[in-house]
Order: sequence, then C-alpha cells, then structure tokens
Amino acid sequence: MATIEDLSKYVIKGNVAKTKKLTQALIDEGAAPLEIINQGLIAGMNVVGVRFKNGEMFVPEVMVAAKAMSQGIEMVEPLIVEGEMPSAGKVLLGTVKGDLHDIGKNLVGIMLESSGYTVIDIGIDKAPEAFIEAIKEHQPQIMGMSALLTTTMLHMKDTIELMKEEGLGNVKAIVGGAPISQDFADEVGADGFAPDAASAVDLCNSLLS
Amino acid sequence: MTIRSNIKANQSTRMNVLTPEQCQELVLAAEEAMWRTGTNFHDEESLEIMKKAGCWVDGERVRVPAHIFEQALKTCQKHIVLCNSRTGARELFVEGNNSYFGSGPCTPFTRNPFTEERHRATRQSVGWATKVLDALPNIDYAMSLGIVQDVPLLISDRHEFEQQILHTDKPIITVCVDQWGQADCIKMAEIVAGGEEELRKNPFICLYAEPISPGVHCREAAQKLVMGAKKDLPTIYTPCIMAGGTAPATLAGVMVQGLCESLSGLVLSQCTREGAPFIMGGVYTILDMATTIFSYGAPELSLLLAALADVAHYLEIPMFGTAGCTDSCIIDEQAGIEAAISVAMTNMSGANLNHDIGYAEQGATSNLDLVVICDEVLGMARRLTNGIRVNEETLALDVIEDVGPGGNFADEDHTEEHIEENYMPKLINRAAREIWENAGGKTLTQVANEKVRDIINHHEPEPLPKDLAAKIRDIVENAVGHMPGED
Repeated sequence: MATIEDLSKYVIKGNVAKTKKLTQALIDEGAAPLEIINQGLIAGMNVVGVRFKNGEMFVPEVMVAAKAMSQGIEMVEPLIVEGEMPSAGKVLLGTVKGDLHDIGKNLVGIMLESSGYTVIDIGIDKAPEAFIEAIKEHQPQIMGMSALLTTTMLHMKDTIELMKEEGLGNVKAIVGGAPISQDFADEVGADGFAPDAASAVDLCNSLLS
Repeated sequence: MTIRSNIKANQSTRMNVLTPEQCQELVLAAEEAMWRTGTNFHDEESLEIMKKAGCWVDGERVRVPAHIFEQALKTCQKHIVLCNSRTGARELFVEGNNSYFGSGPCTPFTRNPFTEERHRATRQSVGWATKVLDALPNIDYAMSLGIVQDVPLLISDRHEFEQQILHTDKPIITVCVDQWGQADCIKMAEIVAGGEEELRKNPFICLYAEPISPGVHCREAAQKLVMGAKKDLPTIYTPCIMAGGTAPATLAGVMVQGLCESLSGLVLSQCTREGAPFIMGGVYTILDMATTIFSYGAPELSLLLAALADVAHYLEIPMFGTAGCTDSCIIDEQAGIEAAISVAMTNMSGANLNHDIGYAEQGATSNLDLVVICDEVLGMARRLTNGIRVNEETLALDVIEDVGPGGNFADEDHTEEHIEENYMPKLINRAAREIWENAGGKTLTQVANEKVRDIINHHEPEPLPKDLAAKIRDIVENAVGHMPGED
C-alpha cells in the first residue's frame, strides 16, 4: 500500500504523474487532507530545498519537484476548510519602472513558490503607484522589487516612500538585482536584501519568523 | 635550393567550432525565428522604421521577412576601423579574422588596488582603470570597468566618458545609460575629433546597446541603435543570454536565440540607414543551475562565442566577443583558469573585438589586477596564434649542420636573429627558486597588483588638449538626466 512517505519521494524525484496518482489514492483512502499536504507534498519539497542548498540538486530539478508538489496541492485544496490551507506567506514581486529585465525576479518567484509561499508577480516596468495598488489588492506580507540597472534602481526608494505614505509600512519591502547591495537596501529604507534567488527564501523566512 | 609548389601553409593557429554548413543551418534557423516568432520593440520610432521597410508589425511584435534580413546583410558595412582619439590614426581593423581585446563596461562595483576594498565604482576608479588600460601593450581599446556612482546616477555615463577620454588615446567603447546620454557622449567625441564629419571619417568611439533576452528590444537600446545608424558610427548590439534561463538549454538553441536578437538589431540598423556600421555582439553563456548566476567563467561561454565567431566569419560581418572574465570573487587560481581559457580560445577563434577583461564576481566587480594578468595572458595567447613559420630560414638546416651533435645553439647568430619569434613574459615567473624567493617569493596576483599601482602612480597618458577638456567638462556639467520610464 502506498504511504505518505512515498508521496514525499515522488515529489523529490519530480515525478508529476505518480505524485498525482498517489495523492488521489491517499484521498480515496481517506487520509487527512492536511496530512497529505504537510507530511507528504511539503515534506518532500523541504528535502528538495535542503538538497538544492547543498548543491545536490539543481534549478530544473527543483522546478519539476515544485510542479509535482503544486499539482498535488491543487487536488487536495478543495477538501480543506477555508483558512486552514498552509502557506508560508504571501509575497508580491515586480520589476521597477523603466526596467524590462525579469529573469532574476522570475527565479526568485520560483524559489519562493517551491518553499510554500504564495507569489503574486505583477510583472515588469511597474511604477510605484502600480506596486501600491497591487499591495492593497493582494495584501501580501512581503513586497519584493527587482532592478538590473543603476538608473532604474532609483525607483525603489520612491516605491518604499509611497508605501509608507499610504500607510502600508507594515508590509516588508525587500530588494534585489545585480546593482543592489545591503548598503543600498539600507539607504532606501528596505527591510531586506538578498544576493540571489535561494537566499531570498531565507530572507523571507527570517522576516516572517 | 628547395623548390616549393602548390603549398598550403597556416599563417596562424586555427580553431573552428562549426563548419560553414552548420553556420548556414544556424543562420537559416535564426531567419526562421525572426519571421515565425519575431521580437518585440518597445520603441515607436523603431516600429515605424521597420514597418516602412516591409517588416510585419503587430503591436510591439516585429517579424522580419527573410529577404529584408538578407538585404540588411548585404548593405551593412563589412570594413570597420577604430582610431586613435588624439591623432585619428586608424588602429583597429575590426574585420576578418583580426582579434582585438579590451576591458568590459558597467560593473556596479570595483576593487580598489591600494586598499583592497570592494566599493561602488567612482570617477576616480574609472580614471585609474582607463590609465591601466592605456599603459598595457596588449590591450587595444577601453571600456569603463565601472559605472561612476559618486555623481548623479542618471548622468553617470557622461562622467565615465570624461574619465576615459582624459586618460587614454586608445579607441573607446562607450555604454550610455540612455539615448540622451549617448547623444552627449557623441557630442563630446565630435569635439575631440574636430567635428561630426571628422568623427565619422576616423571614429575613435564605438557605441553599444543590448536587447533584453529573450527577444525584447527596450526603448533605450532601440533608440541607441537608431542613433548610431543615423550618425553613421560603429554600433555594437549584443544579447547577453543564458542557456536554460533566457534561451534554450541546448547550445544550438542559444545560438539561434542570440542570432535572432542581434540580427533583428542589424535589420533595424540597416532600415534606419543603409550602410550603417554594425557589429554583431554576444555574451552567450549558461544560467548556472546551482547558483542561478549568469556565468562569466563557464567553458560554454568560450565555446558559444567561438561558434559565434564562426558564424560572423560565415556572414562576413564584424563581431564583438567576450573573454578575460571570471566568476571568482577574488583574483585566485579560478580567476586565472577562467580568464586564460577564454582569452586563448577567443583569440584562436578570430573573434574581432573582445570585451570584459577585468570582470570578476560574475561581472559585478571590476579588478585591475586581473586586467594586468590578462595582458600577459594575451601575450601568450597571441604567441599561440602566431603559429610556426616553416621556410628555408626557419628550418635552419645550415645551423644544425654548423653546430653539429653535442654543440650549442645559444651563441649562434641564427639564435640571436630569431629570438623575437618566441614570447618573452613580463609577469610570469620562470626564475629559479632561490632567485624567486630573494625577489620576495610573490604570487602572480601580487606582482600584477604592484604593476597596477605603479601604472596609476607613474603612467602619464597622452594628454587631451586643455581647451578640449574644458569643452568636455562643460557638457558633463550641463548634462540633464532622464528618469527611466519617463519621457
């Protein structure tokens, strides 16, 4: 008989078909939905996170594992009472105004989703006002801004200031991108800076702990 | 006397990654991608130009019919020369199999060669870097090795250019923050050259723009390209793409994606002005799947760019390559390995104008010690490509006969006459252990750092006449910045 431990193994292997099949079997057997998620799907993904950090797994494998996990979660989600769905937190991401670069931001999004975060990606070339509007709509705990250029990174400060003016200072602001440093993050009043996609997850974890 | 007949000889060591048939396959695939998928232009003027030329424009998406690309390939200038800024002397022939090398632009950070501190690049750091580039014999041109950040950031490019033109007479490749910055830099270059016509005749600057992969030409890049074509100044268009991130994971797929982007730029350039000098660029590499960084030290970088050199030779257009850079955060063994492999391989591939010497830390920090080390590596790499001359004189049968078994070649006239055939290192240590120890037992990086300091303290570049320097200052002081995303 298949077990919840097997489910974790399929997630780690990134086997989407078997993850879905086993999730359905566990649902049919009457396993508790939250247990399927926490001890099966998310537990598997946690192992993936550790292995990635240790250099034993690589980005494409992490992505396919995350895909297996999220498809499993989608099947269990309708069975869970509203409000009990586990989530590490909600993060809103976007690239600042005048900047169309987004591969870094996208990688951060993938890493966060793989770690159980709900990610709202508002896209590229977003003015401070667009960030504010999206924060009001989605109410994330964390707002992340990306910039590749020393010229466009100037918009980060405007956005953080506007957040405070609008009374959204409780939302944590994080920044990243090639020209960004901890000093710059401090200067613009951000709550955090991460030098790469994987450490952005650690940063979010520590900001919400 | 030896009679030689129907002889084929290698003038240089040669390296090819692709056959002409494979180059054709890649170019045809890029033509297909330019038509089937197309690329996006976020610039009204460019959309107008391309529509008028017969490209299919649907919103921001531009699809280039094959005949328009093929026409652009015919009209673009194949012969591009970069000149000395003080004398106008024609120095770099960016064409054929000629390989020139220089630094890279736009690193946010730099390492101070005196204090070893890593900090944001400044006017002083770019001035120092340019002085070092000016002094080194194997460095052919200058890029800034830093974004000047102790000035208002929106006009940092004008300050960069001022520091460059004050500290070198070698050709300068200028990377501007936007079209307004580029207009100011061209103005400054025209002042130095003695007018618009003079600059066009003997250009000492080369312009630079890059698309955002995959397949997006932002407004600033497109405008810079259009301006370069209108001004008839050499313009580099260089996609910075990574396998598995902004391009397919397969290297052939990377080539197609990159060619599709840069050749769409070629089409815009030629549709703006037939004959505009265009240089096909590339920083093609991989997304490192363990760290998610854009790798400047991966073997695939050198492999892809040697392949791009094959394609450039096949298309008979000038190209801009990448070498002398490292992912290492300091100048250590890793930096030496990565920089040396890329310089040697790029030089053997015959890529024309090669940048990024001095890039450390995945291109985030410039390092002058690495520039000096690469100057030495270039000396070695160029010796490798000089190959072996085979003729009656070099076969040296008479000397072999004169010296005979058990003899000594060191004091022969023939040895003295040909001593320059072989490379004499400037930094590399070949001394016996005791002599090396008595000289301080230094590593290559330590010796390189001493040389950097010596150049900064003592080298005097060819000065720019004071009246010209004053006019340049005036433009820098009156420069107006434009916030990105705002008109």
